[in-house]
Amino acid sequence: MASAVLRIEDVSVKRGRLFTLEHISLSLTAGRTLAVVGESGAGKSTLIAAVLGLVRPASGTISWNNAPVHHCRPALVMQEPRAGFNPALSIRQTVMEPVVASGKPISADILEQLCGQLELPVDLLNRRPGEISIGQAQRASIIRALIAAPPLILFDEPLSALDAVTQKQTAQLIAELQKAYGFAALIVTHDLGYAAAYGDEIAVLRAGRIEEVTSPREFVSAPGTNYGCQLRDAAIELGALEQTV
Amino acid sequence: MTLSVSNLCVERAGCTLLHPTSLTIQPRERIGLVGESGSGKSTLGHALVDALRGQNVRVAHVPQSPDEALDPLRSMSYHWREAERALQCTPDRQRQQQLFRALQIHQGNLRKRPWGWSRGMQQRFVIAMALIGSPQLLVLDEPTSALDPVVAARTMNLLDSVLEQNQTSMFLITHDMGLAAKRVTRLLVMDAGRIAEDAPCSSLLQAPVTPAAKALTRHRTWPAPC
Repeated sequence: MASAVLRIEDVSVKRGRLFTLEHISLSLTAGRTLAVVGESGAGKSTLIAAVLGLVRPASGTISWNNAPVHHCRPALVMQEPRAGFNPALSIRQTVMEPVVASGKPISADILEQLCGQLELPVDLLNRRPGEISIGQAQRASIIRALIAAPPLILFDEPLSALDAVTQKQTAQLIAELQKAYGFAALIVTHDLGYAAAYGDEIAVLRAGRIEEVTSPREFVSAPGTNYGCQLRDAAIELGALEQTV
Repeated sequence: MTLSVSNLCVERAGCTLLHPTSLTIQPRERIGLVGESGSGKSTLGHALVDALRGQNVRVAHVPQSPDEALDPLRSMSYHWREAERALQCTPDRQRQQQLFRALQIHQGNLRKRPWGWSRGMQQRFVIAMALIGSPQLLVLDEPTSALDPVVAARTMNLLDSVLEQNQTSMFLITHDMGLAAKRVTRLLVMDAGRIAEDAPCSSLLQAPVTPAAKALTRHRTWPAPC
């Protein structure tokens, strides 16, 4: 059987009279990672919002396995993990929300299993968001994303709120979980080192348009566009790609 | 002039956030302060700025969040005028435009309040304000964390050239070892409110001694693409 696939076909999104995304076409297969990179205001977060159905495209379609994408209930991991947590609820209540929303029962030990995989002590689930560190909150938000086993997970700058050590550990963890659970990952980031290390493909977005879609190796060695070269060179100057070039 | 502070110490609610710390900064020296979140980097940065200002040293500080530097009720032009007054600089529109163009914020509307500008633009505006005068020391707390890579690299290059021209020393607080490795000559590693290691950047990256420095250097860069 062919793998499930996310198809973004000729999607444009308008805010008022301005296009924030113009004629975007991308695809992503189950178990693979597509990293979308670009400058602030390029439309990266709008792309996430369009896939989640939070903004309606002016034209084009977004589908998962030839059905509307919301049928697969994609999950989202946000940049600032605590922003997605209700401060009045315990971590356990928040991470179980997707299960309650889907109405599908899960096995009793899946939460403990995920806590084990993410090295998050189970007793932390009884605390509130303000009582855990930001790194622990990001791991809890990954548990929430995985708990209802969605085939597609969207990551909006998942590492930018974390320190360097926690960033690398969390990136490795996401890759290991993807191998174990087989979800497709659409990662929006401006960290080119992360995109090159963990993306199967890199899409460069600028001013609402896709400039190029390329393999990480090609992106690092010979980007296909001037803007791709600018991004790659900037990453080298900032030390993000030092050992990869 | 060599800048020095001794026995900086910060306590809050009975907890010691910064254990007694002494530092000497040579003219034009580029120092990086790295460490995990919560290790006390920003606390040391604030304490250093306060102590040096107490000695009448000209110190410019770019805080991690532009919210710390910008009043949401005041226009951007008000902030600029206020900074010029504080630094006793005569208004220099040409210098302002030069800095704004270099930082690519020349199209920002100065009559707007901070929330009328994007976060990245606010951050660059604060960096521009720090460069109005000729500070002896520039303390930069995660200056590029709100910027995308192209703008971040351009901003760091601009800072390099301005610091060189003005013979200003730099104290760069970051958790990004890659950035520190490119921009500083001396590296301090912070761990649990103490400077755990202080060494020339290249030797610390090659042969870290303390567990905190070893952890940071181990996670310095991303793996190569496969």
